[in-house]
Amino acid sequence: MSLSRREFLKSSAAASAAAAIGMNVPAELEANASAAENGWRWDKAACRFCGTGCGIMMATKNGKIVAVKGDPAAPVNRGLNCIKGYFNAKIMYGADRLTKPLLRMNNKGEFDKHGKFAEISWERAFDEMELNIRKALKASGPEGVAVFASGQYTIMEGYAAQKMMKGGFRSNAIDPNARHCMASAVVGFYQTFGIDEPSGCYDDIELTDTVVSWGSNMAEMHPILWSRVTDRKLTDPDRVRVINMSTYRHRTSDLADIEIIFTPNTDLAMWNYIAREIVYNNPDAIDWDFLKTNIIFAASPVNMGYGMRRAGEKSMTPVRPDGSAGKYSAKEMETINHEMVHKVSAAEAPALEPYGYKEGDDMVNKPAGLKHWEISFEEYKKFLAPYTLDYVAKISKGDPDESLESFKKKLQTLADLYIEKGRKVVSFWTMGMNQHTRGTWVNTLSYNVHFMLNKQALPGSGAFSLTGQPSACGTAREVGTFCHRLPADMMVKNPHHRKHTENRWKIPEGTLNPVGNQHIMKIHRDIEDGLVKFAWVNVCNAYQDSASAKHWIKAARELDNFIVTSDGYPGISAMVSDMVLPSAMIYEKWGAYGNAERRSQHWRQQVLPVGDAMSDTWQWMELSKRFTVKDLWGPYTLRNGKKLADVRKAAQALGYNDDTTMYEILYANKEAKSYKIDLNSFPQKGYDNSDCSGDSRNVIGGDGKVAKGCGFMVHEYLWEEYASFGRGHGHDLAPFVTYHKVRGLKWPVVDGKETPWRFNVKYDPYAAKAVAKSGSKSTHAFYGPLAKALPQGNLLGITDKNKKPLTDKAKIFARPYMDPPEVPDAEYDTWLATGRVLEHWHSGTMTMRVPELFRAVPEALCYMNPKTAEEKGLKQGDLCWVESRRGRVKAHVETRGRNRPPRGLVFVPWFDEKVFINKVCLDATCPQSKQTDYKKCAVKLYKA
Amino acid sequence: MKVINKITLGLVAATLLFVGCNENAAPAKSEVVKPTISEDSLGLRKTTLFKENVKPNGTKYSESYAGSGHKIERAFQDAPPMIPHDVTGLIPIKIGNNQCLGCHMPEVASAMGATPIPPSHFMDFRPVTTLAADGEVEKDGHKIKNTSSETLKNVSIKSNHGKLYGGRYNCTQCHAPQAVEPLAVPNSFTPDYINKDGASKSHWDGDRLMEGIDTYDASK
Repeated sequence: MSLSRREFLKSSAAASAAAAIGMNVPAELEANASAAENGWRWDKAACRFCGTGCGIMMATKNGKIVAVKGDPAAPVNRGLNCIKGYFNAKIMYGADRLTKPLLRMNNKGEFDKHGKFAEISWERAFDEMELNIRKALKASGPEGVAVFASGQYTIMEGYAAQKMMKGGFRSNAIDPNARHCMASAVVGFYQTFGIDEPSGCYDDIELTDTVVSWGSNMAEMHPILWSRVTDRKLTDPDRVRVINMSTYRHRTSDLADIEIIFTPNTDLAMWNYIAREIVYNNPDAIDWDFLKTNIIFAASPVNMGYGMRRAGEKSMTPVRPDGSAGKYSAKEMETINHEMVHKVSAAEAPALEPYGYKEGDDMVNKPAGLKHWEISFEEYKKFLAPYTLDYVAKISKGDPDESLESFKKKLQTLADLYIEKGRKVVSFWTMGMNQHTRGTWVNTLSYNVHFMLNKQALPGSGAFSLTGQPSACGTAREVGTFCHRLPADMMVKNPHHRKHTENRWKIPEGTLNPVGNQHIMKIHRDIEDGLVKFAWVNVCNAYQDSASAKHWIKAARELDNFIVTSDGYPGISAMVSDMVLPSAMIYEKWGAYGNAERRSQHWRQQVLPVGDAMSDTWQWMELSKRFTVKDLWGPYTLRNGKKLADVRKAAQALGYNDDTTMYEILYANKEAKSYKIDLNSFPQKGYDNSDCSGDSRNVIGGDGKVAKGCGFMVHEYLWEEYASFGRGHGHDLAPFVTYHKVRGLKWPVVDGKETPWRFNVKYDPYAAKAVAKSGSKSTHAFYGPLAKALPQGNLLGITDKNKKPLTDKAKIFARPYMDPPEVPDAEYDTWLATGRVLEHWHSGTMTMRVPELFRAVPEALCYMNPKTAEEKGLKQGDLCWVESRRGRVKAHVETRGRNRPPRGLVFVPWFDEKVFINKVCLDATCPQSKQTDYKKCAVKLYKA
Repeated sequence: MKVINKITLGLVAATLLFVGCNENAAPAKSEVVKPTISEDSLGLRKTTLFKENVKPNGTKYSESYAGSGHKIERAFQDAPPMIPHDVTGLIPIKIGNNQCLGCHMPEVASAMGATPIPPSHFMDFRPVTTLAADGEVEKDGHKIKNTSSETLKNVSIKSNHGKLYGGRYNCTQCHAPQAVEPLAVPNSFTPDYINKDGASKSHWDGDRLMEGIDTYDASK
C-alpha cells in the first residue's frame, strides 16, 4: 500500500487504525512556505524555559505573536511541548511590562536611595550607571563592581557581558544564577572527566532499558524528556524499568515501577551502597579491562565545611555573649557554627570511621578547595566497607511509615538492576543532587557505579546530569560566564588561558584579573560586607532566588551601594533596586540557547520589543561606550594584595589610545564590522534586528539620539568570536548561519557532524584522536585536560607529592556520607525543600503573568503529609506559618496535592512573591561548587 | 468507572468559563518626572519585602463535574485546552490507570460531553531510534549524519495505528485545571483563530501538521 504524502496526511486526520501504515513523510515535498495564507508568519525558535531545550514554532501577525506549536522537526520534542512551552505565546504580553528606565529619586530629580521611582531616559540611566561604577571602582577596585548573570542569557548576551566585565572592568565578579542550579554538576564533570558537560544525549532514552531518576522530578521539571521516558516505558513495559528516588512522592513516582523515598542527603550513602554491592558481592560485574585502561581512584578532604560564612568575616563580627555575631542572630549562628566545627553524628560515624572519626568527635573544618589525590583500589574498597545494606537502609529510609524490610528490598532491587549484565541504565538527576552541601561529591559518586560496570558514555547507558535552565549549558557553562571561568573550559587563574583570551579579545596581556572567587553567594556577602558597591541584575531574579534572602535585601536597601535590575517585568529584584531598566524579552531579539544534550539552537527576532525596552546586548554595548582605556586599565591592588598591572601603555601598542572606548575595543572593532547587515539574504531577510539596525520605534538611546543600531551583525560576530575559542578544543560549534537552517546541533560539531556520545571512540572524533595518539586499544578516552596529574596518597591524605599523569583517564572518587549542616531537631522538627512546579518558571515573573499558567497554580502551597498536618493541628486549606531560624512565611496547607511528602518533610515552591520561601531557606552551599542547598533546612509549622 | 456515573449524557450546556483575558491594559505613563512609583506597587507582592504577614492567593478550582459541558476557550488557535472540570479523584495518572481516557477518547467523547482527543495525539512524530549492528544510530532504519538537517528529511510523522502516542500519555503536562482566582496581572495577548471553531477545537492535523516548518528553503 502506497499513499502520497498528501493523501496520507488527509487520511491520518481520521485517526483510525486502518488509515495508514507507518511511513516517513518526505517533508521537503510538502512543507508549506513560512508565510501562510492566513497572514501568519511561522518561524522556529527555542523554548524560553527549562534545560530540555524544546523547539517551538512561533506564528506572528502584524508584529505580534499569535500562536505557538511544537516543532515537528525539532529532534528534542518532535512536535510536542509542555504547558509552559505552548504558552511562550503569551509571556511577553503581561500588562506590567517594564517600558521605561526607572530611578529612585527625590522631588528635585536627584538620585535618592530612599526615594520612589520615576521614569527617566536611557541617557540618564547610563549616566547613573557610569557614575556609580566609577564610584565603586574608586572605593573597592574591580572587585567592587558585580553582575548577577544568568543561565537564561542568550549565548551572545552572556559572551558580551563577560567581555565587558572581565576584559573591560577587569572584574571577575560576574556569576550566573546557574551557580544555584548546575555548579555541583560542573565540578563533578571537571573532577571526573577533566572537562564539562554530559557524555550522553537524549537518544539514550529511546535506547535504554532502565531509567533511574535521582532526586529529580522529571515529570514536572523536564516534562518533554519525561514524555519520552513514558513512551519508552509504554512501548516495552516488561523490559523497561523506571525507578524514582526522591525525598517525597511526586508526579515522577506516578509512572515508576519502584519508588524509593529517602532521607535528605542520603543519596550519598545509596550510591556508595550500590558501589559496595558491586565490589564486595558482585566482583564479576566489574569490567577490569575498562577500569585498568580508563580509570583511576581518588580521594579528597572530608572536613571542608558547608559553604556558609566563616568566623571573622566582616558581617560576622563582633561575636556577642548571647551567641549572635555581627548581622547574624544567635539562632542563625546555631547553624552557621557548623562551618567552623561540626560534631560527628551517629548517622555519619560509620561512614567517617575509615577517615579516623567516631561519633561525638569534633570535626574542625577548613576550606579544602578542589584538592584531590590518587589512591589505590584497595583503599577505595576499604572506604566502601561501611555501606552495608543494614547501615544504608537505616539512615536512608525516608518514610517513617514504610517498613525497613520493604525499603531494603527496594535498595537491593535497585542495585541488582544496575548490576544486571546486558541491562542498559541511565541515571538522571538535576537539583536533588546538585543543590546539596555535598553536591560535587554526589555527582562524582554517580559516575563510580557506571564506570565500574562499563555503563558510561555508551548508547542507552550513562550517568546523565540534566540541566535546569534553557542555557545554563550554552551560556553559563560553555561561554564561561562564571567568576572563575573563561570560554571553552578555560580558567581565569591559569596564565596561559588568560593570555589566550587576551590575545583573542585584542586586549593587552595582563589585563585579565587572575582572582575569580566572587561566586553568586559571595557577591551577596560582599555587598553585605560593604565591598561590592555596584551590582547589576541581568536576566535573573537574584533577590528572590537566593536563600537567606533577608540579609541580601537588607544589604541592598540599607548600605551605600547602587543596585540595578534589567528585566522584562518588575519582580522582587526590581523592588530592591535603585534603578530598573526595561529589557527586550526572548523573541524580541536574536538569540541562541544551549541545552542539556550539548545542542545549540538559534532563533531570529520575531517582534519588536515593547515600549523603550532594549536587549541586554544593547545595554552592555551602550554602557561600554562610557568607559575608555584610561578609565579602566590603570593599576589596581586587589583585596588579597595581588596587583593588577597598568596596561594602558600596552594598549597603545595594540593601536588604542587613552580615549579609545571599550565599545570600540570589545564590540565595534574591525573584526566585528566584517559581519555585515544583509537584509536581502537568509537568515536576516524579512526579520527585524533592533540591536543592529534600530527599529521603527526610534527609541532614544544612551547618547540622547535615536538608537539606530550598531550597524553590523553583532549576533553573528559575538557567536563566531566565541566559537573560535572552542574549535579544535573539543567544543567545536558550527557557523552562525548553519544553526538558522537546522534544529540545533550537538557539539562538538566536527566536519559538519554532531557528536552523540562523548569520550566514546566510536562516536567522538576527539576520543578517536586521543587513542590514535596514545596507541591505546581502548573503547574510550576521557580526554578532558583539567587535573590530569595527581599526587599519591590514601584516604587520610597525600603520601607522595610527585604528580603522576593520568592522560585520557577518568576518576572514581571515595566520598563518604555526611549530614547536612542543619537537620531537624526538637524545635525545628521538619525538613523543608523548595523547588519548582510544572506550570511556573523559577521566580514566576513570566509565568505568573500568563492567565492559564497563573490559574493552574495561583500560589505556592505548603505540601505536607496529612499526618504531619494532623500532628500540627492543621487542616487542608488552612494557613500555616513555615518558620526557620532565618524567617517565616505564610502558606496554605495542601495535603492532597501533586506532591505527597512523607511525615516530617514539607515542600514549598519558590515562584510566588507572596510566599517568599527563600527568606526561610539556608544559604549553605557545596564548599567545592558553591551551589546553594535549597533542598534541606529545618523548619517548624504552626497554624497562622 | 466512577466518572461515568456522575455524567449526565446529553448535557451540552454552552456555558463557557471564559478565562482568556484580552484587556489592552498598558502601564500608566507619568508625564511629570516626579518620583511617584513606590516599590510596593511593582510586581505581584504588593507589600513591603520585610513584611512577614502576607496573605497568599487562593486556589479555588472549578467544582463543575466532568461531563457537565463546561468548556474553557482555547488560548489561541490549536492551543491545548485547559481542564474545565474538577479533577479530584481523576489524577494522578498512572501506568494502566489514566482516567482522562475514559471520557476523552474520540470514540466515546461526544457521548460523554467531553472534548475528544484530537488526531495529532494519535500520530507518532518521533523516528524509531535503533542501533545498527555496527553501532551507528539509525532513525527509522536510516543511518543519519545529524539528528537535524537543512532539508527536513528527518521529519517523521506517522500514524500510531489508532493508539494514543505514549509521549502524550501524561495529560497534565499540557492540560491543567483553572482556579477561579482574579488574575495577578492582565495579559494583552490576542488570539487569531483562523478556523471559525478555533477557540473550541483543534485543527492541527492533515496538512497543518507541516505548515510553516520549512523556515529555511534551500531552493529559494
